[in-house]
Amino acid sequence: MRELTNEIKAEIKDMIFDYYAEECEVEKSEINENTSLQDDLDSDSLMLVELIEMTAEKYDMDIKLQSIGKYMLKAPMNTMNDVIEMFYKVYQYGNDIIEQA
Amino acid sequence: MYNRAFLFNGIGPKYEKLLAKLTPEMTEQYQAYYSKACEHLGLHKDIEKNHGYDAKIAEWLVPFVCDRVIFEKCIAQGILPDIGVGYSSGIVSATACFGSFPYEAAYDIVKTHRSMLIALDEQQVKLDTGIIVGFSYDDLLALLRSQFSEEELVIGSSNSSFHAMISGKAPAVEKAIELCTNEGALKAFRLGTGTAFHHEIMKQYSQEYIQYCHNVTYKDPKYPMLSVFDMSILDTAEKVAHENQINVYTQMRWDLALKELEKLGVKEFIDISANGSLSKLSRVKRGCRIYTFEDVCA
Repeated sequence: MRELTNEIKAEIKDMIFDYYAEECEVEKSEINENTSLQDDLDSDSLMLVELIEMTAEKYDMDIKLQSIGKYMLKAPMNTMNDVIEMFYKVYQYGNDIIEQA
Repeated sequence: MYNRAFLFNGIGPKYEKLLAKLTPEMTEQYQAYYSKACEHLGLHKDIEKNHGYDAKIAEWLVPFVCDRVIFEKCIAQGILPDIGVGYSSGIVSATACFGSFPYEAAYDIVKTHRSMLIALDEQQVKLDTGIIVGFSYDDLLALLRSQFSEEELVIGSSNSSFHAMISGKAPAVEKAIELCTNEGALKAFRLGTGTAFHHEIMKQYSQEYIQYCHNVTYKDPKYPMLSVFDMSILDTAEKVAHENQINVYTQMRWDLALKELEKLGVKEFIDISANGSLSKLSRVKRGCRIYTFEDVCA
């Protein structure tokens, strides 16, 4: 398990907000932890794939998409907070994230 | 040497979404072409005023006309292709835009799908397609082959390392969606198309389409195309004809086609679709970039 420092947490959260703001063409300031991925941002699964790829590259990780998919079966992604929490776990546990749902 | 590839999208995106993206100037051009196409096919230019199978044909016509408008916009701005590739019925668009047959032939081809829809309804054949996000081609193939025969279900198109379209008998598609979801797909859903494009079963229902593609006169394309079936270069009338003839019932490898274009030196991929749908499901290596028509028009 990798250590998730406050600095890394802030970095991940910032990366996620930046990404969705750009992809969904909204101001970053309009996004908060309660923002709905579907209703407020009209985001899709392909955006999530890209975010996973970005994260894997940024933190030099080998992440299988199916691991994330199985995690999401138990912990659906509805709000920005769900996404942030999931990426914290991805950073910490990698493909073992399934056991953290 | 190739540097720039034009990517042509097929039938799929909702027509309202395509039209919403066009600029006023392009909308005007679109309306002029669409009216002529409808006149040619005996359809009403207001999609909603068509009924039954005609309504479907009128809808399916929209991406072809959008492609034409966007293609012409690119050419007018001096953005020329070195090569092109079509995704599914995007092959028909590419063929027309690259001058291998007239635009009217593309419209006629859309209309040949009418007899396919009628045959499927009359014989009460239940077919469908679906999208699976989160599996590589090999992983997905292994999973599907463990549960389904090729007669029931195939990967109609492998689009990227994580995105595929499955195609086959409706109950098999439904079961596969559930299976993939349980096995960790990020997203898996039925498209509810009522057809199974890129499955061999479509050959028997698409005889009018195949016959038309055999009979129409082709010219050598102005720009070469790449086959999404065997990744060969299509630079003669004969080769382009063959690509069109086998289109509806042959498995596509969009992922491999893009890789082949990269090998050929392509760095700039221009997504000709109005809503950038190809750029979303495609992946290209670092150093290459997919541009949407909004990038081009900006």
